[in-house]
Amino acid sequence: MADFRLPANSRIRKGTTHTAPEGAREVRTFRIYRFDPDSGENPRVDTFELEAGECGQMVLDALIRIKSTVDSSLTFRRSCREGICGSCAMNIDGVNRLACITSLHDLGREVRIYPLPHMPVVKDLVPDLTHFYAQYASVKPWLLAHQSPPPPDRERLQSKAEQEKIDRPAACILCACCSTSCPSYWWNSDRYLGPAALLAAYRWIIDSRDEAGGERLDALEDPFKLYRCHTIMNCTDVCPKDLNPARAIAEIKKMLVERQS
Amino acid sequence: MADRPLSPHLSVYRMYRYSVLTSITNRLTGVALSAGLIVLVYWLMAAAGGAKAYGRALGVLSSGALKVIFLILLAAFSYHLLAGIRHLIWDSGRGLERSQSQRSAWLIGIAGLLLFAGLAWWTCLHWTMAGAGGAR
Repeated sequence: MADFRLPANSRIRKGTTHTAPEGAREVRTFRIYRFDPDSGENPRVDTFELEAGECGQMVLDALIRIKSTVDSSLTFRRSCREGICGSCAMNIDGVNRLACITSLHDLGREVRIYPLPHMPVVKDLVPDLTHFYAQYASVKPWLLAHQSPPPPDRERLQSKAEQEKIDRPAACILCACCSTSCPSYWWNSDRYLGPAALLAAYRWIIDSRDEAGGERLDALEDPFKLYRCHTIMNCTDVCPKDLNPARAIAEIKKMLVERQS
Repeated sequence: MADRPLSPHLSVYRMYRYSVLTSITNRLTGVALSAGLIVLVYWLMAAAGGAKAYGRALGVLSSGALKVIFLILLAAFSYHLLAGIRHLIWDSGRGLERSQSQRSAWLIGIAGLLLFAGLAWWTCLHWTMAGAGGAR
Protein backbone atom coordinates (compact mmCIF):
# COMPACT_ATOMS: atom_id res chain seq x y z
CA MET A 1 0.00 0.00 0.00
CA ALA A 2 0.92 3.55 -0.48
CA ASP A 3 3.17 4.79 2.28
CA PHE A 4 4.01 8.40 1.63
CA ARG A 5 6.69 8.59 4.32
CA LEU A 6 10.13 7.08 4.13
CA PRO A 7 10.81 4.20 6.57
CA ALA A 8 12.88 5.07 9.64
CA ASN A 9 16.11 3.64 8.21
CA SER A 10 15.72 5.73 5.05
CA ARG A 11 15.27 9.23 6.43
CA ILE A 12 17.99 11.51 5.26
CA ARG A 13 20.57 13.01 7.62
CA LYS A 14 22.64 16.11 7.03
CA GLY A 15 25.86 15.23 5.24
CA THR A 16 29.27 16.75 4.89
CA THR A 17 30.24 19.67 2.70
CA HIS A 18 33.27 19.66 0.47
CA THR A 19 33.91 23.32 -0.27
CA ALA A 20 35.24 24.62 -3.53
CA PRO A 21 39.03 24.81 -3.99
CA GLU A 22 40.71 28.11 -3.05
CA GLY A 23 40.42 30.71 -5.75
CA ALA A 24 37.56 29.05 -7.61
CA ARG A 25 35.98 31.67 -9.85
CA GLU A 26 32.64 30.10 -10.65
CA VAL A 27 31.26 27.45 -8.33
CA ARG A 28 28.82 24.72 -9.15
CA THR A 29 27.18 22.89 -6.25
CA PHE A 30 26.16 19.24 -6.29
CA ARG A 31 23.97 17.83 -3.56
CA ILE A 32 24.31 14.09 -3.75
CA TYR A 33 22.53 11.30 -1.90
CA ARG A 34 24.93 9.05 -0.07
CA PHE A 35 24.38 5.74 1.62
CA ASP A 36 27.12 3.57 3.00
CA PRO A 37 25.84 0.05 3.74
CA ASP A 38 28.87 -0.72 5.92
CA SER A 39 28.38 2.20 8.31
CA GLY A 40 24.97 1.14 9.58
CA GLU A 41 23.92 4.81 9.45
CA ASN A 42 21.04 6.45 7.66
CA PRO A 43 21.54 7.95 4.20
CA ARG A 44 22.76 11.54 3.99
CA VAL A 45 23.09 14.27 1.40
CA ASP A 46 26.65 15.48 0.80
CA THR A 47 27.46 18.80 -0.80
CA PHE A 48 30.24 19.06 -3.33
CA GLU A 49 31.39 22.40 -4.69
CA LEU A 50 33.32 22.30 -7.93
CA GLU A 51 34.96 24.88 -10.12
CA ALA A 52 32.39 25.22 -12.91
CA GLY A 53 35.01 25.06 -15.65
CA GLU A 54 36.20 21.67 -14.42
CA CYS A 55 32.83 19.88 -14.22
CA GLY A 56 32.78 18.82 -17.87
CA GLN A 57 29.75 18.87 -20.13
CA MET A 58 27.41 16.29 -18.64
CA VAL A 59 26.24 15.38 -15.15
CA LEU A 60 28.15 12.11 -15.46
CA ASP A 61 31.38 14.03 -16.15
CA ALA A 62 30.87 15.97 -12.94
CA LEU A 63 30.21 12.76 -10.97
CA ILE A 64 33.39 11.20 -12.35
CA ARG A 65 35.26 14.41 -11.51
CA ILE A 66 34.02 14.27 -7.90
CA LYS A 67 34.92 10.60 -7.62
CA SER A 68 38.43 11.10 -8.95
CA THR A 69 39.33 14.34 -7.18
CA VAL A 70 37.19 14.76 -4.06
CA ASP A 71 35.68 11.55 -2.72
CA SER A 72 36.66 8.25 -4.28
CA SER A 73 33.98 6.41 -2.30
CA LEU A 74 31.16 8.04 -4.33
CA THR A 75 29.42 5.12 -6.00
CA PHE A 76 27.32 5.13 -9.17
CA ARG A 77 26.79 2.95 -12.22
CA ARG A 78 28.02 4.07 -15.62
CA SER A 79 29.28 2.49 -18.75
CA CYS A 80 28.69 3.74 -22.28
CA ARG A 81 28.52 7.51 -21.53
CA GLU A 82 26.33 7.96 -24.61
CA GLY A 83 22.81 7.02 -23.53
CA ILE A 84 22.65 3.48 -24.86
CA CYS A 85 23.47 1.28 -21.86
CA GLY A 86 21.03 2.81 -19.39
CA SER A 87 23.34 2.32 -16.42
CA CYS A 88 23.55 5.88 -15.14
CA ALA A 89 19.81 6.47 -14.70
CA MET A 90 19.23 8.63 -11.61
CA ASN A 91 17.01 11.39 -10.30
CA ILE A 92 18.62 14.66 -11.34
CA ASP A 93 16.94 17.85 -10.15
CA GLY A 94 13.73 15.98 -9.47
CA VAL A 95 13.42 14.18 -12.79
CA ASN A 96 14.68 10.73 -13.74
CA ARG A 97 17.26 10.85 -16.50
CA LEU A 98 20.56 9.47 -17.70
CA ALA A 99 23.48 11.36 -16.17
CA CYS A 100 25.57 10.86 -19.32
CA ILE A 101 23.24 12.69 -21.69
CA THR A 102 21.99 15.36 -19.27
CA SER A 103 23.89 18.53 -20.03
CA LEU A 104 24.99 20.65 -17.09
CA HIS A 105 24.19 23.71 -19.18
CA ASP A 106 20.48 22.85 -18.99
CA LEU A 107 20.61 22.77 -15.18
CA GLY A 108 20.95 25.45 -12.53
CA ARG A 109 24.01 26.39 -10.51
CA GLU A 110 22.96 23.81 -7.91
CA VAL A 111 22.26 20.24 -8.97
CA ARG A 112 20.49 17.71 -6.74
CA ILE A 113 21.23 14.07 -7.48
CA TYR A 114 19.37 11.14 -5.93
CA PRO A 115 19.05 7.48 -6.84
CA LEU A 116 16.00 6.39 -8.86
CA PRO A 117 12.98 7.01 -6.59
CA HIS A 118 11.32 4.44 -4.31
CA MET A 119 13.91 1.72 -4.81
CA PRO A 120 16.05 -0.18 -2.30
CA VAL A 121 19.49 1.43 -2.31
CA VAL A 122 22.60 -0.75 -2.50
CA LYS A 123 25.01 2.15 -2.11
CA ASP A 124 24.92 5.88 -2.91
CA LEU A 125 23.32 6.24 -6.36
CA VAL A 126 23.07 2.50 -7.02
CA PRO A 127 19.54 1.10 -6.65
CA ASP A 128 18.75 -2.60 -6.44
CA LEU A 129 17.04 -3.46 -9.74
CA THR A 130 16.53 -7.18 -9.06
CA HIS A 131 12.77 -6.90 -8.80
CA PHE A 132 12.58 -4.63 -11.86
CA TYR A 133 14.47 -7.18 -13.95
CA ALA A 134 12.35 -10.03 -12.60
CA GLN A 135 9.24 -8.18 -13.74
CA TYR A 136 10.78 -7.72 -17.16
CA ALA A 137 11.52 -11.45 -17.33
CA SER A 138 7.95 -12.25 -16.26
CA VAL A 139 6.53 -10.92 -19.53
CA LYS A 140 8.67 -13.44 -21.44
CA PRO A 141 10.55 -10.93 -23.55
CA TRP A 142 11.51 -13.41 -26.24
CA LEU A 143 9.93 -14.87 -29.36
CA LEU A 144 7.24 -17.47 -28.69
CA ALA A 145 6.44 -19.21 -31.99
CA HIS A 146 5.97 -22.88 -31.33
CA GLN A 147 3.24 -23.59 -33.90
CA SER A 148 5.32 -22.80 -36.93
CA PRO A 149 9.01 -23.74 -37.05
CA PRO A 150 11.29 -21.26 -38.80
CA PRO A 151 11.86 -21.91 -42.50
CA PRO A 152 14.95 -24.12 -42.91
CA ASP A 153 16.68 -21.92 -45.45
CA ARG A 154 16.19 -18.41 -44.03
CA GLU A 155 15.10 -16.27 -41.10
CA ARG A 156 11.53 -15.48 -40.08
CA LEU A 157 10.95 -12.52 -42.34
CA GLN A 158 8.99 -9.37 -41.59
CA SER A 159 7.75 -6.65 -43.86
CA LYS A 160 9.18 -3.18 -43.40
CA ALA A 161 5.87 -1.98 -41.98
CA GLU A 162 5.81 -4.84 -39.46
CA GLN A 163 9.32 -4.02 -38.32
CA GLU A 164 8.55 -0.33 -38.00
CA LYS A 165 5.77 -1.11 -35.54
CA ILE A 166 8.31 -2.55 -33.09
CA ASP A 167 11.17 -0.17 -33.85
CA ARG A 168 10.44 2.21 -31.02
CA PRO A 169 9.26 -0.21 -28.30
CA ALA A 170 12.25 -2.46 -29.05
CA ALA A 171 14.67 0.42 -28.48
CA CYS A 172 14.10 0.29 -24.70
CA ILE A 173 17.40 0.17 -22.78
CA LEU A 174 15.84 -0.90 -19.46
CA CYS A 175 17.27 2.06 -17.59
CA ALA A 176 14.18 2.08 -15.29
CA CYS A 177 13.72 5.85 -15.55
CA CYS A 178 10.06 5.32 -16.50
CA SER A 179 9.02 2.73 -13.93
CA THR A 180 10.63 4.59 -11.05
CA SER A 181 8.99 7.87 -12.08
CA CYS A 182 5.53 6.31 -11.84
CA PRO A 183 3.61 6.90 -8.58
CA SER A 184 1.51 3.79 -9.28
CA TYR A 185 4.74 1.83 -9.45
CA TRP A 186 5.96 3.45 -6.24
CA TRP A 187 2.90 2.35 -4.30
CA ASN A 188 2.26 -1.01 -6.01
CA SER A 189 5.52 -2.25 -7.49
CA ASP A 190 5.00 -5.56 -5.72
CA ARG A 191 2.11 -6.32 -8.07
CA TYR A 192 2.04 -3.67 -10.81
CA LEU A 193 4.49 -4.53 -13.59
CA GLY A 194 5.35 -0.92 -14.38
CA PRO A 195 5.81 0.88 -17.70
CA ALA A 196 9.12 -0.72 -18.72
CA ALA A 197 7.91 -4.31 -18.42
CA LEU A 198 4.57 -3.46 -20.05
CA LEU A 199 6.33 -1.75 -22.96
CA ALA A 200 8.34 -4.94 -23.44
CA ALA A 201 5.15 -7.02 -23.29
CA TYR A 202 3.58 -4.78 -25.94
CA ARG A 203 6.64 -5.07 -28.15
CA TRP A 204 6.16 -8.87 -28.27
CA ILE A 205 2.38 -8.82 -28.52
CA ILE A 206 2.52 -6.79 -31.72
CA ASP A 207 5.52 -8.63 -33.18
CA SER A 208 4.31 -10.21 -36.46
CA ARG A 209 6.45 -13.32 -35.86
CA ASP A 210 5.20 -13.98 -32.34
CA GLU A 211 2.40 -16.52 -31.94
CA ALA A 212 1.62 -16.16 -28.24
CA GLY A 213 -0.21 -12.84 -28.34
CA GLY A 214 -3.33 -14.34 -26.75
CA GLU A 215 -1.40 -15.94 -23.90
CA ARG A 216 0.54 -12.74 -23.36
CA LEU A 217 -2.70 -10.78 -23.08
CA ASP A 218 -4.15 -13.43 -20.72
CA ALA A 219 -1.15 -12.98 -18.45
CA LEU A 220 -1.65 -9.22 -18.31
CA GLU A 221 -5.41 -9.23 -17.75
CA ASP A 222 -5.14 -8.51 -14.06
CA PRO A 223 -6.26 -5.60 -11.90
CA PHE A 224 -2.75 -5.02 -10.68
CA LYS A 225 -0.22 -6.15 -13.29
CA LEU A 226 -1.66 -3.85 -15.95
CA TYR A 227 -4.56 -1.80 -14.64
CA ARG A 228 -2.65 0.03 -11.92
CA CYS A 229 -1.66 2.32 -14.80
CA HIS A 230 -3.76 5.48 -14.42
CA THR A 231 -2.17 7.31 -17.37
CA ILE A 232 -0.22 9.75 -15.21
CA MET A 233 2.21 10.05 -18.13
CA ASN A 234 5.39 10.40 -16.08
CA CYS A 235 6.85 7.40 -17.94
CA THR A 236 6.58 8.95 -21.39
CA ASP A 237 7.61 12.29 -19.95
CA VAL A 238 10.97 11.01 -18.70
CA CYS A 239 11.97 8.33 -21.21
CA PRO A 240 15.51 9.27 -22.31
CA LYS A 241 15.04 7.30 -25.55
CA ASP A 242 11.84 9.16 -26.41
CA LEU A 243 9.77 5.96 -26.28
CA ASN A 244 6.15 5.84 -25.22
CA PRO A 245 5.27 3.29 -22.53
CA ALA A 246 2.00 5.11 -21.80
CA ARG A 247 0.82 4.57 -25.36
CA ALA A 248 1.92 0.93 -25.28
CA ILE A 249 -0.11 0.36 -22.11
CA ALA A 250 -3.13 2.13 -23.62
CA GLU A 251 -2.85 -0.12 -26.68
CA ILE A 252 -2.70 -3.25 -24.51
CA LYS A 253 -5.83 -2.11 -22.66
CA LYS A 254 -7.53 -1.53 -26.02
CA MET A 255 -6.58 -5.00 -27.26
CA LEU A 256 -8.05 -6.54 -24.12
CA VAL A 257 -11.34 -4.75 -24.73
CA GLU A 258 -11.42 -5.45 -28.46
CA ARG A 259 -10.86 -9.19 -28.12
CA GLN A 260 -13.98 -9.49 -25.95
CA SER A 261 -16.24 -8.49 -28.83
CA MET B 1 18.89 -7.11 2.22
CA ALA B 2 16.00 -5.99 4.42
CA ASP B 3 17.95 -3.09 5.89
CA ARG B 4 18.50 -1.43 2.55
CA PRO B 5 17.04 2.07 2.70
CA LEU B 6 14.30 3.15 0.34
CA SER B 7 15.32 5.97 -1.96
CA PRO B 8 13.29 9.18 -1.54
CA HIS B 9 10.32 9.61 -3.89
CA LEU B 10 7.63 12.23 -3.21
CA SER B 11 10.10 14.45 -1.38
CA VAL B 12 12.50 14.68 -4.32
CA TYR B 13 10.37 14.24 -7.43
CA ARG B 14 9.61 17.45 -9.29
CA MET B 15 5.97 18.29 -8.67
CA TYR B 16 5.57 21.19 -11.08
CA ARG B 17 5.74 18.87 -14.06
CA TYR B 18 2.76 18.92 -16.44
CA SER B 19 2.23 15.16 -16.04
CA VAL B 20 2.36 15.22 -12.24
CA LEU B 21 0.30 18.40 -11.86
CA THR B 22 -2.57 17.46 -14.15
CA SER B 23 -2.81 14.00 -12.61
CA ILE B 24 -2.78 15.05 -8.97
CA THR B 25 -5.22 17.89 -9.64
CA ASN B 26 -7.58 15.43 -11.29
CA ARG B 27 -7.39 13.23 -8.19
CA LEU B 28 -7.90 16.10 -5.75
CA THR B 29 -10.83 17.60 -7.65
CA GLY B 30 -12.39 14.13 -7.83
CA VAL B 31 -12.11 13.76 -4.07
CA ALA B 32 -13.56 17.25 -3.57
CA LEU B 33 -16.51 16.45 -5.83
CA SER B 34 -17.20 13.20 -3.99
CA ALA B 35 -17.18 15.09 -0.70
CA GLY B 36 -19.45 17.70 -2.28
CA LEU B 37 -22.06 15.01 -2.84
CA ILE B 38 -22.88 15.42 0.85
CA VAL B 39 -24.38 18.81 0.02
CA LEU B 40 -26.48 17.28 -2.76
CA VAL B 41 -27.66 14.47 -0.49
CA TYR B 42 -28.56 17.00 2.22
CA TRP B 43 -30.62 19.00 -0.29
CA LEU B 44 -32.43 15.88 -1.57
CA MET B 45 -33.16 14.60 1.95
CA ALA B 46 -34.54 17.98 2.92
CA ALA B 47 -36.73 17.98 -0.19
CA ALA B 48 -38.07 14.56 0.81
CA GLY B 49 -38.57 15.73 4.39
CA GLY B 50 -41.42 18.12 3.69
CA ALA B 51 -41.91 21.87 3.42
CA LYS B 52 -40.58 22.76 6.86
CA ALA B 53 -37.35 20.80 6.47
CA TYR B 54 -36.90 22.15 2.96
CA GLY B 55 -37.34 25.73 4.09
CA ARG B 56 -34.69 25.25 6.77
CA ALA B 57 -32.35 23.67 4.22
CA LEU B 58 -32.77 26.58 1.85
CA GLY B 59 -31.58 28.88 4.60
CA VAL B 60 -28.48 26.76 5.18
CA LEU B 61 -27.78 26.33 1.48
CA SER B 62 -27.93 30.04 0.75
CA SER B 63 -25.55 30.95 3.55
CA GLY B 64 -22.23 32.56 2.70
CA ALA B 65 -20.12 29.54 3.70
CA LEU B 66 -22.15 27.23 1.47
CA LYS B 67 -21.78 29.66 -1.40
CA VAL B 68 -18.01 29.54 -1.05
CA ILE B 69 -18.11 25.75 -0.93
CA PHE B 70 -20.32 25.73 -4.00
CA LEU B 71 -17.87 27.91 -5.93
CA ILE B 72 -15.00 25.59 -4.93
CA LEU B 73 -17.03 22.64 -6.17
CA LEU B 74 -17.71 24.46 -9.43
CA ALA B 75 -13.99 24.98 -9.92
CA ALA B 76 -13.34 21.30 -9.16
CA PHE B 77 -16.11 20.27 -11.54
CA SER B 78 -14.78 22.47 -14.36
CA TYR B 79 -11.32 20.93 -14.19
CA HIS B 80 -12.43 17.36 -13.46
CA LEU B 81 -14.80 17.31 -16.42
CA LEU B 82 -12.14 18.38 -18.91
CA ALA B 83 -9.46 16.15 -17.38
CA GLY B 84 -11.91 13.25 -17.63
CA ILE B 85 -12.47 13.94 -21.32
CA ARG B 86 -8.70 14.04 -21.80
CA HIS B 87 -8.47 10.61 -20.16
CA LEU B 88 -11.20 9.28 -22.45
CA ILE B 89 -9.25 10.46 -25.50
CA TRP B 90 -6.10 8.86 -24.10
CA ASP B 91 -7.95 5.59 -23.52
CA SER B 92 -8.84 5.54 -27.20
CA GLY B 93 -5.09 5.50 -27.89
CA ARG B 94 -4.88 9.09 -29.12
CA GLY B 95 -2.97 12.13 -27.90
CA LEU B 96 -0.42 10.10 -25.94
CA GLU B 97 2.77 11.49 -27.47
CA ARG B 98 4.76 13.66 -25.09
CA SER B 99 4.25 16.88 -27.06
CA GLN B 100 0.51 16.19 -27.43
CA SER B 101 -0.02 15.54 -23.73
CA GLN B 102 1.96 18.67 -22.88
CA ARG B 103 -0.33 20.69 -25.12
CA SER B 104 -3.49 19.09 -23.76
CA ALA B 105 -2.30 19.78 -20.21
CA TRP B 106 -2.20 23.49 -21.01
CA LEU B 107 -5.47 23.22 -22.86
CA ILE B 108 -7.45 21.69 -19.99
CA GLY B 109 -5.82 24.11 -17.54
CA ILE B 110 -6.85 27.19 -19.48
CA ALA B 111 -10.19 25.84 -20.68
CA GLY B 112 -10.94 24.71 -17.11
CA LEU B 113 -10.36 28.24 -15.85
CA LEU B 114 -12.58 29.69 -18.57
CA LEU B 115 -15.32 27.17 -17.89
CA PHE B 116 -15.13 27.92 -14.18
CA ALA B 117 -15.22 31.68 -14.84
CA GLY B 118 -18.31 31.25 -17.00
CA LEU B 119 -20.10 28.98 -14.53
CA ALA B 120 -19.18 31.19 -11.58
CA TRP B 121 -20.38 34.31 -13.38
CA TRP B 122 -23.70 32.65 -14.21
CA THR B 123 -24.10 31.40 -10.65
CA CYS B 124 -23.30 34.75 -9.04
CA LEU B 125 -25.71 36.45 -11.42
CA HIS B 126 -28.38 33.99 -10.33
CA TRP B 127 -27.62 34.65 -6.65
CA THR B 128 -27.80 38.43 -7.11
CA MET B 129 -31.10 38.13 -8.94
CA ALA B 130 -32.49 35.88 -6.24
CA GLY B 131 -31.26 38.35 -3.62
CA ALA B 132 -32.79 41.35 -5.40
CA GLY B 133 -36.09 39.52 -5.83
CA GLY B 134 -36.12 38.99 -2.09
CA ALA B 135 -37.57 35.49 -2.60
CA ARG B 136 -35.14 33.95 -0.08
